[in-house]
Amino acid sequence: MSDIGEIRTEAIDADALGRGSGFFDACRRYLADRNIPEQEFPLFYCRLSETLLHRGHRENAVECARLAFDLQPETEETAHLCAWVFSNCGCYLEAAEAYERLLKIRPHWVVGHRHASGSFAAAGQIDCAIVHAKTASDRDPDSLEFAMHAGCLLQSANLYQEATDYFARAADIEPDNCLVLRHLSTAKFALDQHQDAVTLALRALARAPDDRSNALHATELLLRIGEFDEAFEIISETVDTHPRDAVARRLLSEAEMLRGRAEDALSTIDKALAIAPEMAEYHLHRANLLYRLGRLDEAAEAFGQAAALDPSNPDAKRSQLTVYFDTGRFTEALAIGGELIKASPDNDEYAQAVLQILNRRFETLDADYVLLSERELRPCRGLRPPPGFFARLQTQGRVIQALLIRESRTRFGDSRLGYGWAVLEPVFHILMLSLVFAVMMRGRPPIGDQFFIFYYTGIIPYHLFVHASSSMTYAITSNGSLLQLPLVGTFDVLMARGLLELLTDALVAAILLAGFGAAGFGALPHDLLGVSAAALVVWLLGCGCGFINAVINAFAKSWDKIWAQLTRLLYFCSGIFYVPGMMPEWIRDILAWNPVLQAVDWFRASFFEQYEPHWLDRSYLSIIAVVTLLAGFGLERGLQRRLYEPL
Amino acid sequence: MIMLDRVSKTYRTRTGRKTVLRDVNAVFEPGHNFGILGVNGAGKSTLIRLLAGSEAPDRGSISRYARVSFPLGFGGTFHGVLSGRENVAFIARIYGAGIRSTIDYVEAFSELGEYFQMPVNTYSAGMRARLAFAICLAIDFEVYLIDEVTEIGDQRFRRKCAEAFRDRMLRSDIILVTHNPQTMRQYCDRGAVLANGDLTLYDDISTALGRYHRLLQEKA
Repeated sequence: MSDIGEIRTEAIDADALGRGSGFFDACRRYLADRNIPEQEFPLFYCRLSETLLHRGHRENAVECARLAFDLQPETEETAHLCAWVFSNCGCYLEAAEAYERLLKIRPHWVVGHRHASGSFAAAGQIDCAIVHAKTASDRDPDSLEFAMHAGCLLQSANLYQEATDYFARAADIEPDNCLVLRHLSTAKFALDQHQDAVTLALRALARAPDDRSNALHATELLLRIGEFDEAFEIISETVDTHPRDAVARRLLSEAEMLRGRAEDALSTIDKALAIAPEMAEYHLHRANLLYRLGRLDEAAEAFGQAAALDPSNPDAKRSQLTVYFDTGRFTEALAIGGELIKASPDNDEYAQAVLQILNRRFETLDADYVLLSERELRPCRGLRPPPGFFARLQTQGRVIQALLIRESRTRFGDSRLGYGWAVLEPVFHILMLSLVFAVMMRGRPPIGDQFFIFYYTGIIPYHLFVHASSSMTYAITSNGSLLQLPLVGTFDVLMARGLLELLTDALVAAILLAGFGAAGFGALPHDLLGVSAAALVVWLLGCGCGFINAVINAFAKSWDKIWAQLTRLLYFCSGIFYVPGMMPEWIRDILAWNPVLQAVDWFRASFFEQYEPHWLDRSYLSIIAVVTLLAGFGLERGLQRRLYEPL
Repeated sequence: MIMLDRVSKTYRTRTGRKTVLRDVNAVFEPGHNFGILGVNGAGKSTLIRLLAGSEAPDRGSISRYARVSFPLGFGGTFHGVLSGRENVAFIARIYGAGIRSTIDYVEAFSELGEYFQMPVNTYSAGMRARLAFAICLAIDFEVYLIDEVTEIGDQRFRRKCAEAFRDRMLRSDIILVTHNPQTMRQYCDRGAVLANGDLTLYDDISTALGRYHRLLQEKA
């Protein structure tokens, strides 16, 4: 059968000229013409196939091989040739079948298993490939190639335990082969035998320190087990020896990032990107670094670049959306969100993200107010000097005045009469009690001839003291919110209360006096100046106690109750409805220490011409008042910051 | 201009003393709007009150070379028994502003209608916020301190506030605390980050937002 070349030429010519129905018809005609016996057909087709393949006619070669293979399955030569043609023409599954048939004929042909395995693997049938690969290696345990092949196949099928066994076999054959060591290391790492894996990787690196694959592998493993410093040492050496290696730089950047040197990592990845600018993953890494460094605007841009280079990967876009959202650029975030939803309409997470953006946008002021833009027009404002002493005094006066007005409105805020009650209440009180005492004492009071006047001269100084000292007790606790105003201080609040009490009591005193005059009691103070002085001094004493009370009350909440009891006791000890002269001398001597009693007597001594008690000591009262006031001021000033809790 | 000179401030909490500022020097320059950033509990509100003068620092001094507002949106100064009008009059008196003109402005701006004459007790939280906002705008401050209140009321009222603020910002500065980065970008050209007792000022808001972001990450 020496004329295969001839028939081939003839057949092709026939095909080209359109005679007959094609190449294989021509072949059949040739076989018939020459009376070739049927048992020789397979061999003919095999040879034909071989020749065709040699001359580059792959399709016809495969068809010929198929014809031969179908015709005579049991011949070794046919099977061998067919396998050879099939595997050279990319028909791996058929090649594998041919090898399997060959193995039935030649069961001890170890290389055949290797070939079958390779074909199955190429055809994507990993399971069959693994069976043959294992057979090959097990039959010939001294073959490095068989062991490696089996190991790689098992590894790709995620059968790491078995893969380790075969790689170990390979390592026994060639203990210094770096590739084998790397593979064994990878398989061991997959089995979580991290330490062994790293040891192997480092052994490979020690065998061939200049092989960058060893360095990259070792670095990657070290980074994964958290040995960042060691990984950094290795990879930085590799970067020094291979300065144009982008992968090494990418790993170096990772190592730097994991060591907490985000700035260094950023400059390294920038260099890697200078070598390989099209790597989307590098851009993603860089964006994450920028994000971590808080350079959000640049991070957003880098995520955008990563997304543009690798449009199929939505992660970059999703990250970009997060950055925009975090920096408050909801419009941009929304645009990205729209793209994400458009690309994958069924993704719940993206839908949620967009919903969140929309919600946030509604919460904020309208985006079309670009408030900063017009500020450029603004003239520069000069510095206002801090207020001087007089300005501060003026402000304080204003504040106390405002507080006074506010206090007067709120004191009896719920009732219709308002401040009127503040005046009327003591007026009624004094009239009622005067009446009671007048009846009880039957006729003449100790001084003067009207019990009303007598009681009046006692109760007014007492009220000045008690009202000021008591109402100031609550001034801070009930004005906590007001104290949040920068201009309002505890002193202002206290003074306003005290002043309001003074004004109210003065008003009450004047109204009563006018009333007495109208009723014909004809009582005018003998020494108006003295009366005013007594009133003022006792009020100052009240203020001093008020300041102290306010401070104590800030620390001891029930102090106001105790003070209320003390003032009640004071009512009986201050000579309001009697004069000390009516008392036994020893009692009078004790009572004379009471400053309020002194105030009452001072008031009466100035009111009534004929009354001048010898125990009255105006300077004693004045000193007590001044000392108390100073003590109160001092306490208030010193403890100012602890008197109220900021809201 | 507000100048902090070696200012320290701590406050007591149930778990012990908390440091807001530790020996901080800082200058809030005029002509710039500052956004103050900080994680929850860093003491942003305390800082605003310090700048306002509502609270005094433990050590150091704060000098204000401008008329600084009280912390805006703070409705606590209202007395519940007094009407909106009386409360406005009180604030006007304190700041020495014209009482009549202030009342008229607030009445028109706050849109409280009949409620303006009613005790503040009867107001809703939104109405109180509107009243506070209007009062703060009515008085001509040079620096406005705003603590998380730009998001009050309905959308229309917010728009109105933004408009009013845009006019006011032609002559006044603001120092703003908000968790909303967009609001911050809209109002502020500079930023400050308060963290671990340290206050750092930044010349642009993006850097400040970035730094703040890192803080959040470190915390998480």
